[in-house]
Amino acid sequence: MVRLQPDPFLNELTSMFERTTEHGSVWVTLKHSSDKSKAQRNKMKTAGENLEFKCLIRATDGKKNISTMVGAKDHQRFQASYAILLKARLTALKKRERKDKRKATDSDKKMDISKKKSAAAKAST
Amino acid sequence: MVYITSWDDFVERSVQLFRADPEKASTRYVMKYRHSDGKLVLKVTDDKECIKFKTDQAQDAKKMEKLNNIFFTLMSRGPDADISEVGGKEQMEAQAPKKGRGRKQ
Repeated sequence: MVRLQPDPFLNELTSMFERTTEHGSVWVTLKHSSDKSKAQRNKMKTAGENLEFKCLIRATDGKKNISTMVGAKDHQRFQASYAILLKARLTALKKRERKDKRKATDSDKKMDISKKKSAAAKAST
Repeated sequence: MVYITSWDDFVERSVQLFRADPEKASTRYVMKYRHSDGKLVLKVTDDKECIKFKTDQAQDAKKMEKLNNIFFTLMSRGPDADISEVGGKEQMEAQAPKKGRGRKQ
């Protein structure tokens, strides 16, 4: 497991997505973690110190593992970049249903317009 | 383990699972994406309970973005963080375009 800074992590994740376009999968795991071993946690507990929790992000393509930690300060920036990355990479998903919905609303519009026209025609007669 | 079909159920149950015991080391949120099959699987588990959601629709990827935001917020800020803002935006955005279409008619 390689621990990276958030930005190099996103770059590496991008190349993982690129490597798996023809075969393979990418896994991304989010975890609430203090990044301390159990012994360290117990030590801090007995010392009465507060544990600091962060978000641990791991990614793998089955061959390579990478990870990064994101805290309260930088999670918004990270999640914005991550969202852009996903938008650019998750291109194999189907878009069909949305088009159908648009068509449905279009036909609804036509229906409404024709109704209005007929209503207007009735009003004028 | 069964796949949950309703997205809203999935979100609600996964947040519940995390909040039930936030300090539990085994609780995690996993996204698996398979480009060659165009499939996306989301999983939230604490090794006792497991909630999964499977999709091949691009519109669900957009919903997932909101769930990502929720989990990033919960996990980096703590389980008591306010997620109504990240969750609330989604409803605002969903309603706004509908209103727009309505006015045009």
